[in-house]
Amino acid sequence: MIIFFVLPLLLTVVWSVFERTMFWMEPAFTLFSYENFFFSSRLENFLSSMFHSSISVVCAFFIGFPIAIFIRRRVRKVAQHRVMLLFILPFMVSEIIRIFALRPILSRNGVVNSFLMDMNLIESPFSIFVFTPTGVVIGEIVSFLPFMIFSTFLALEAIPNYIFEVCADLGVNRRRMFKDIFLPLAAPGLFAGSVFIFVNGIGIALIPTILGGPGSVNAGLIATQAIIALDFPLAMAVSAIMMFTLMGLLYLGHRLFNLTKLLEPIS
Amino acid sequence: MKKNNAIEVKNLIKTYGDVYALNDVDLNISDGEYFVLLGPSGGGKTTLLRSIGGFIRPDSGSVVIKGKNVNNLPPDKRPTSMVFQGFALFPHMDVAQNIGYGLKLQSIEKNIIDEKVNKMMDLVGLTGLHNRKPHELSGGQQQRVQLARALILENDVLLLDEPLSALDAQLRKDMCIELKRLQKTVGISFVHVTHNQEEAMSVADRIAIIADGKMIEEGTPQEIYNKPKKQFTAEFLGEKNILIGKVLNLNKSKIVLDIKNDKIEIANNNYNVSKNQEVSVSIKSESIQIKKNVKSKINEKNSIFGKVTEITFLGQFVRYLVLLSNDQEIQVRSSEEVGNVNLNDQVILNWKLDDFILHNE
Repeated sequence: MIIFFVLPLLLTVVWSVFERTMFWMEPAFTLFSYENFFFSSRLENFLSSMFHSSISVVCAFFIGFPIAIFIRRRVRKVAQHRVMLLFILPFMVSEIIRIFALRPILSRNGVVNSFLMDMNLIESPFSIFVFTPTGVVIGEIVSFLPFMIFSTFLALEAIPNYIFEVCADLGVNRRRMFKDIFLPLAAPGLFAGSVFIFVNGIGIALIPTILGGPGSVNAGLIATQAIIALDFPLAMAVSAIMMFTLMGLLYLGHRLFNLTKLLEPIS
Repeated sequence: MKKNNAIEVKNLIKTYGDVYALNDVDLNISDGEYFVLLGPSGGGKTTLLRSIGGFIRPDSGSVVIKGKNVNNLPPDKRPTSMVFQGFALFPHMDVAQNIGYGLKLQSIEKNIIDEKVNKMMDLVGLTGLHNRKPHELSGGQQQRVQLARALILENDVLLLDEPLSALDAQLRKDMCIELKRLQKTVGISFVHVTHNQEEAMSVADRIAIIADGKMIEEGTPQEIYNKPKKQFTAEFLGEKNILIGKVLNLNKSKIVLDIKNDKIEIANNNYNVSKNQEVSVSIKSESIQIKKNVKSKINEKNSIFGKVTEITFLGQFVRYLVLLSNDQEIQVRSSEEVGNVNLNDQVILNWKLDDFILHNE
């Protein structure tokens, strides 16, 4: 735990204040890298990537959670895990290929646009699907949706069946069921899935590299570009900022919603 | 005065594949009655209860509650509430929220809900536990919350599916007393499913024995225990002394049975039997007197020879196993050890004419 988890994090912070040399870095204490980050377009990119990630999280919630509820409630018990297995299948294909495959689907003369044109639903093809922040959000949803489904399904699976019988006896309607039963009882799963998608949304460089255009750069891509430019302290600084931002957000979440309470509805 | 029926079940049939879970069951439960469905596991009693509650749709037959056919109504539209097996509470809600949830769904004002919840919590003995979560409660308390959650809706019938099965023996006894008290207080019909005869006897106004999807017999606890009409009932209630015999002779007051190698006489309580009919009879082990046989011939009435094969001291009583000449064993319970009766002794068993019960149906 210490070697593989705490030490890399500490080193990240330590290296971020080192001085940049031609090919590596040397021990020093300078905030140059942080300055470099905060007084450039990098900060703006970082903030907008947080915003885009949040949108991905919200979309994944509205798409993934109902799917998980459907599987829990409507799919026969024996078939449930088989259905879940279907969502693992895409992971058999390399992530690069998977995301790259979205290009011909979403591009100006891609599958989606052709379909919409053929159906006479639109006159000219949408060009916002790729090489835009929208493209990045779509890519993130496609890539990370299974995690939202998994984590919420696991939480829903832990709900004992008697709950649904009690609800039938009391006459709980769908809206109430969602608000009073599914949402609070799946909260731990929703939280886990959301954090995962948010972190990866701002951290994984691959998706904006392939699907993003100018203005859709996330923290991961900033760090990657810094490493390519051999500016290791800057890459470390970006990572450290990401880390502190997340910690800050978790703390804020804890203060606002009391995570300990949220995370143990069933005990 | 005849009471109105709260529940009328007619010709109820429910099958799972080839198996009859309910095979043409009729049942009437009166207003304000504590009714127990008693029977072995898998006998159909829970299926019957769930059909009344609307959780199971029977293949045919009808369920009428308070004069209204509820066949096509879902559970929440029926005037019934259910207490489920195990501790079926909402784990994320506290006690007061669990109890008040049904009222909240009906969009009732919060202060009215609070007032009713308080009253209900006092009634079931949960005073002051408003903010406890289910996992902070004992098993007995959790069942009280379930009771309160069901009773607060003020429906005409409370259905209880093995409500005490998850509790330990002592708690179960205490809860039986409370359930009975609660039922008398609220005055509605309770229908309680259990496989535990002690539990059934202690709470019920009337009991129905259900097995193999059929209604075996029904009656008050006294009738069921003391005068079971069916051999199955006697066996299910733990009766060991069941003898099969043929009617040799009968008159208005007595029946003589041939039980192979021996004859016994029993009182004829208007039994509907005829000569040469095969019947089964039973006798409670505490109704038999045992004594050492010193003579070689029986000159007493209502008695039979046997040989002691086992003597077991069981605290409150002593149990003798006696082998009859037809190779059947009879259990005798005596409140104290009978002097000079030892293992392998020849003994005489005797009883009052009335103690034998005939199962002719």
